[in-house]
Amino acid sequence: MNSHDVTVLGYLAVVLAGGVLQLLATRTRAPIPPLGKVFAWAMSTRTRRVGMLVAWAWVGLHFFAR
Amino acid sequence: MATVRAGVREPIVVVLLLIAFFTSISGKPLDGLLMLVAGVSLAWDTARRTRRASLTASGPHGDGQPGRSQAESRPADLSPPEHHHPADRAVAKPAAPGTITGKTAPAAAPGVERAGTLARHGEPLAARPRRRLLAVGWLAGGALYVLVVSSFSRYSWPATVPVVGLGVAVVVAGWRGPRHSRPAQAKLPTAGLALWGLVLVAGCLWELSSLMQQPTLTTSSYAHPTISTLTDPALSTWAGRSIILAGWLGLGWFLVER
Repeated sequence: MNSHDVTVLGYLAVVLAGGVLQLLATRTRAPIPPLGKVFAWAMSTRTRRVGMLVAWAWVGLHFFAR
Repeated sequence: MATVRAGVREPIVVVLLLIAFFTSISGKPLDGLLMLVAGVSLAWDTARRTRRASLTASGPHGDGQPGRSQAESRPADLSPPEHHHPADRAVAKPAAPGTITGKTAPAAAPGVERAGTLARHGEPLAARPRRRLLAVGWLAGGALYVLVVSSFSRYSWPATVPVVGLGVAVVVAGWRGPRHSRPAQAKLPTAGLALWGLVLVAGCLWELSSLMQQPTLTTSSYAHPTISTLTDPALSTWAGRSIILAGWLGLGWFLVER
């Protein structure tokens, strides 16, 4: 296993951790909010809402814009 | 000076300014400039509201009596979500008949739906075809946007203008207030929120560590690929660009609908 594989595995581990949290949130009584509720919470004040939307805009700019 | 400190103390402002710095030195000055504008605007807004709060707390005649309501005089950082801003206060607006508000039923209670959902179920039958038509219109507009923008090569001006335009429009709309009135949300469990935060921070640090292990900030590395490097092959094709652009639009729609 080379460093490329380790790096990709790291990204996959993060995605997997997110998936596990979402499963725990929706399938068990663990005190973990589902991702949808986390986003709703994040969008409930101006500062957080603008922060989230700027982050979203940044993704588009990063991948497509000059 | 104190108001400037109040603005810069906002964590999101600090994060945006850091993104602006790192994006600029990574060879993306336009991204950096937009992040800088957003960060400075948020810092200014927070400072303005903090200053207004401190002025009203001391009263119109300096007698310590509040000149405004408590909701208006709270600093943005310390107030509950529904009191952050007049636009944000729409969250606490009375719900339509047949809806459950945050006051009548906590959102965290199992089986309780949000006001928006219930309002949709209770809407007049005549309004449904109009809603459906509107949804089809949005979908068609989104599909057209994806088809047109993904037909241009990445980082070209024809691709840059619509992406920047949409991004700026959505951020400005978000600044003015939420798209839907929502009941005040019940407090989410701190430990659960912290776990989501941990996953997000871990992802960001992993990406940052890959970025720092590249030969230079603008030269990608096969051994330590960033997410951008990993998505480059997909984004070099029209189909890949279309799928990723559609995903970006969908995520934006999902956020705006929260």
